[in-house]
Formats: sequence, structure tokens, C-alpha cells
Amino acid sequence: MRKAWLRSYVGNLVGVAVLAAMFFPLPLLVDEALLYVLGMAFLFVLLSISWDLVTGYTGVVNLGLTVFVGLGGYTSGLLQEAGRLKGTELAFISELSGLPVYATILIGGLVAAAVGLAIGAATLRLKGWYFALVTAILPLVFVQTTYVWKDIFGGEEGFVVHASLGTTVVEKYYAALAMLLVCLVCVLAVTASRIGMRWRAVREDEVLAEALGFSTTRYRVAAFVLSSFIAGVAGAATVHYRLVANNDLYDVPLLLLVILAVVVGGAGTVWGPVAGGLIVFSVKNWWLKPLVYGYIWPAGIPLNDDMILYAALIAIAILRPHGLWGSLVKMPKALSHRFNRGPIQPKIPLSRAGR
Amino acid sequence: MLSPEILITILIYGGTLGGVLALLSSGFTMIFGVVRILNMAHGAFFATGAYIAYTIVASLGTAPVFATALAAILVGAIGAAMYRALLAHIKRLEATVIIVTLALALILEQLLLIRFGEHGLNLSPIVAGVVEIFTIPISAIRVLALAFSVVTLALLAVFITRTRTGKEIVAASQNLEGAVIIGLHIEKLFLLSVFISSVLAGLGGALYAQVYGVNPFLVLRVLVLAFAIVIFGGLGSLKGSVVASFIMGYIIILVTMLLGARWSEMVALMTIIAVLVIRPNGLFGVRD
Repeated sequence: MRKAWLRSYVGNLVGVAVLAAMFFPLPLLVDEALLYVLGMAFLFVLLSISWDLVTGYTGVVNLGLTVFVGLGGYTSGLLQEAGRLKGTELAFISELSGLPVYATILIGGLVAAAVGLAIGAATLRLKGWYFALVTAILPLVFVQTTYVWKDIFGGEEGFVVHASLGTTVVEKYYAALAMLLVCLVCVLAVTASRIGMRWRAVREDEVLAEALGFSTTRYRVAAFVLSSFIAGVAGAATVHYRLVANNDLYDVPLLLLVILAVVVGGAGTVWGPVAGGLIVFSVKNWWLKPLVYGYIWPAGIPLNDDMILYAALIAIAILRPHGLWGSLVKMPKALSHRFNRGPIQPKIPLSRAGR
Repeated sequence: MLSPEILITILIYGGTLGGVLALLSSGFTMIFGVVRILNMAHGAFFATGAYIAYTIVASLGTAPVFATALAAILVGAIGAAMYRALLAHIKRLEATVIIVTLALALILEQLLLIRFGEHGLNLSPIVAGVVEIFTIPISAIRVLALAFSVVTLALLAVFITRTRTGKEIVAASQNLEGAVIIGLHIEKLFLLSVFISSVLAGLGGALYAQVYGVNPFLVLRVLVLAFAIVIFGGLGSLKGSVVASFIMGYIIILVTMLLGARWSEMVALMTIIAVLVIRPNGLFGVRD
């Protein structure tokens, strides 16, 4: 076990080094507009890694990921723009002004992780279906908070944040790349460790995992908290990258984009979401948007970039139900195993009958 | 402080909202109970029903009651088509079904946004004017929407418990293997359930639009309300979702009156989540 762990760990480190070598010299080669999109893509990859930790590794469908993205983003944004809190019970925070931006990003991640611990502990006891539905409710509740306390969160328009990840686009690009590499090294270490192995055991066979004597709920909560932390950090970094805190961080379209990235890359792996995230985000923002607003809209066709991506997601899910690279095989099998245990499910493959 | 006038207003307003929500959520829970899929596009069907009815009235100039009925049936057809074309082959892959239907919901939302814009539209009601209930004026469509919902739900109950097809659907939801063995045509029953479920969503949407108006963001807003209601009532339980719908309707109306409309959904959803933490299987949920 130790030798295999070492081998996979060395392999992963080589992978991280290759990734770094690929993206490090890029500012010399491409223009700033593409660099800006790529830097955002790095932060987006953090989200796809984060979603995959819960759904791909421990096998429960988390539809509430964006709650933590928004929590991290708003926490860090408000700490930097603490003047917005004057006149509320939180006014004492406004005396903390002048915190370095990385400190508030870290606090954003910690707040997201703390809320993740509370939500995870309360909901991961629920059966799979209920968990998916409860987590699906949460983003809407948090979107509503931005309207209810409009003076603080700025409602739909959000608010401008002045503290930036870097003074130039190149600086921001390297900051985002550094965050991605650090996160990747940590996540790869965790998933290759005993904890990662137990996550997969929980996903593959819950009963067997319990019989082996470890609490499936506790391991799922651990994955959920780590995922929330990464999502919070990514949300906070995004706010300081594009300099606006906005409630699209909480919203469902972002979640669907993350799911698309994981489905394209392959769930239950770390490298799959990395590749999928880079591809999906760059395609959407570098290639699809100009295409839509340059050619499709002028031609009078009611299509936008999001709709094309959602259609692609449906097509991939139906034509390749096990993911583009076949790695989704494990997830649905584990899920149906857990859900199908009741007397309701057919042993006869009914879905084939209609084919 | 609670005058009889306010009490009656709350009773009617909450009842109307509860009734429309019951149409929405009974369809959602039915599709889950029978076919075992979570249809994330259910809220999109609700909104689409409203917009189809609006388009029929606007372009053909027909009576709203006819437009409402036609919209409900058209939405039923959309649902059946979705099931046949997209879901029939993948329905055993639960995560995939959630992803596909959620993507479909957002495509429909974008279509509605592009076609009708983000501002709310009002559908001309089946009956205009106000009625006086104990000398309190209440718009007639509210009372009618409540009556429509109750009658439709009663018809659904009769269909499920009294007719042969309805009993076959119940059988399929209780024991699929057994249903196959005794020779029931499962795929047909599934398709019929999806059709009925979508008709209920479309009807609910068309009625909702006549009382409250409609905008494309309803796609996700009512979907989340449906989630909260069915987990509160117990997934797969029709009775539970109807009871939970009315509770939800009254909570929303009460919060709107006491705190203001912007709080209503947040408080309602938080209440449901709090209840769920105490009672993980909902009011009438099956324990498994």
C-alpha cells in the first residue's frame, strides 16, 4: 500500500510539474485578453475539483456547491469593503480595514468551510435523494439573502471590490495559477491517502464500508468540508480577480457549468475535472461567446452560449451516460446500488426493453 | 389585532397559493413515486404552461379558460416527449437524470428569457372582477384558482384509487418487479405518469400566472418550492405533498403579511429545512 501510494504520488507530482511548465511561460506567448480568461479558468478549475470531491469521490449528488462559492466571495469582498457593514450589527468589522487580500481570501474559505460543516453534518445523514433536494434548495435561499439585505450585498448588481489579486493581468494570472497548483498538490495528496481510499470505499459500497468500522457520514462530511473550503477560496479569489462581488456566484448556471466540466473530464478523478474545467471554461468564454454574439445573434437565431453548453451536456449525458472518458461508470453504479436497494427497483433491465 | 377580515383574507390567499403549489408538487412527487426520477425540469414546465396560455390568448384571442386547458395538455405533450426522447434510456442513472433535466430546465428558462424578456407578464384571468366573501372583496380568480386546484386534485385522487389504469400506476410504484410479472405494460404507465405530472404542472402555471403574473425566473423559483414541499411531505407521497403545499402556502402568505414579500420564500424554505433536520423523512415519507 505504501509503495503504491508513493508511486501514484510521484506520478501526480510529475503531472503538476508538467501543468506548471505548460502554463508558466504563456504570458510571453499570448495576449492579455486570453491570459485574463485563462486565469479565470484556473479559479473555475478549483470549483470542478471541489464538486468532484463530494460527488465523484463519495458518491452523493451535491447541488449546493455555489452556496460556498458565494459565501467565500461575499465574505472576502465585504472584509475588503467593510464600509458596507456600517450601521449593522457587524459594524465592528469595519475597524479591521487594511487586511491583506490573501488573508481575507483565506477567511472566506474558512467561513465557507464552517458553514459547510454545519450543512454537511445536518444533511449528509439524509438518504441520497433527500440530500440532492435539500442541497438544491440552499443556493436559492442564499440568493434571496442578497436581495433581503440589499444595502450590504448590493442585490443583483452586487458591489465593486477594490482589493485586487494583482495590479496587472499577468500578475493576476500567476496568482490564479499558483492557487490552482497549491490546491492541486493538496487535493492529490488527500485523495491518494488513506482518507481518499475510504471516500472511494464509501462510494462503492456503503454497507461494506460501515461493516469495516468507519462512519460513512463522517467521511462524507470531511469531503464536504474540504470541498466547501476550496469552493470558498475560489469564490473569494474570483471576486478579487474580476473586482466585483455579485450574486451570480450563488446561482445555478455556475453549478451546471461545473457539472459539465466534471462530466467532460470524468468524475471520481482529480485530473479529469482539471482538464474538463480548463476546456469548458475556455471554450465558453474564448470561443463560444464571440461565436454567439458575432454570428448567431445577428442571424436572428434565439440561441446563446449557455444554451449550447447545456445542450452539449444533455447530449454527452445521453450518448455517453458514463462520461466522455468512461470514468463516470463508477459513480452511477455506486449510486444506483444505493438507491435501488428497495423493493421498487426492477431486476429486469426495463430500460433496455424500449431500445 | 387579528380582525376577522384579515383572518379570512389569509385563509383565501394562503389557500389559493397552496392549491396552485399542490398542483405543482403533486406532479413532481408522482413522477418520482412511479418512475423514480427527479424531474428538475418540472418548474420549467410550470412556467412554460403559463407562457403557452399567454401566447394562445395573445395570438388567437381565445377565451382564457380554453387557453388554460390547451396549455396544460401541450405541456403534458412536452413532458411526454422529454421522457420518450431523453429520459427513457437513462432513467436508472439517477445522477445523469438530474443533470439532464436540470440542463433542460435552464435551456427552457433561457428560451423564455429571449422570447418574452425578463419582465413579468400578466395572463388575463378566466373570470374578472371581485367577489365578496363575508363583505370582504377578493378577486374572483383567486377563489376560482383555489376551486380549480381542489377539483383537479380530487379528480386525480379518484383516477388513482378508482380506475383500473390508476390502480396499475399505484401497483407499478409499489412493486415494479411484481407489476412486470403480472403483465402490466410498464413503459406505457411511466409515459402516462409523466404526461399527467406535466399536465398538472402546466395547469398550475397557467393558473398561477392569472393570479400573480409570470416571469422566466419562476423556472427555478417554483422548482425549489416544489423540492421543499415534497421533502417536507415525504418524497413520493401524494397526500404528503398536498398537505405540505397548503402549509407552505400559508407560511408564505403569513410571512408576506407580517414581514414583507421579500422575506417570504427565504423564511418558508428555512422553516422546511429546519423541520427536515428534525424529521428526515418528512411528514408522510416512506422509511427505507
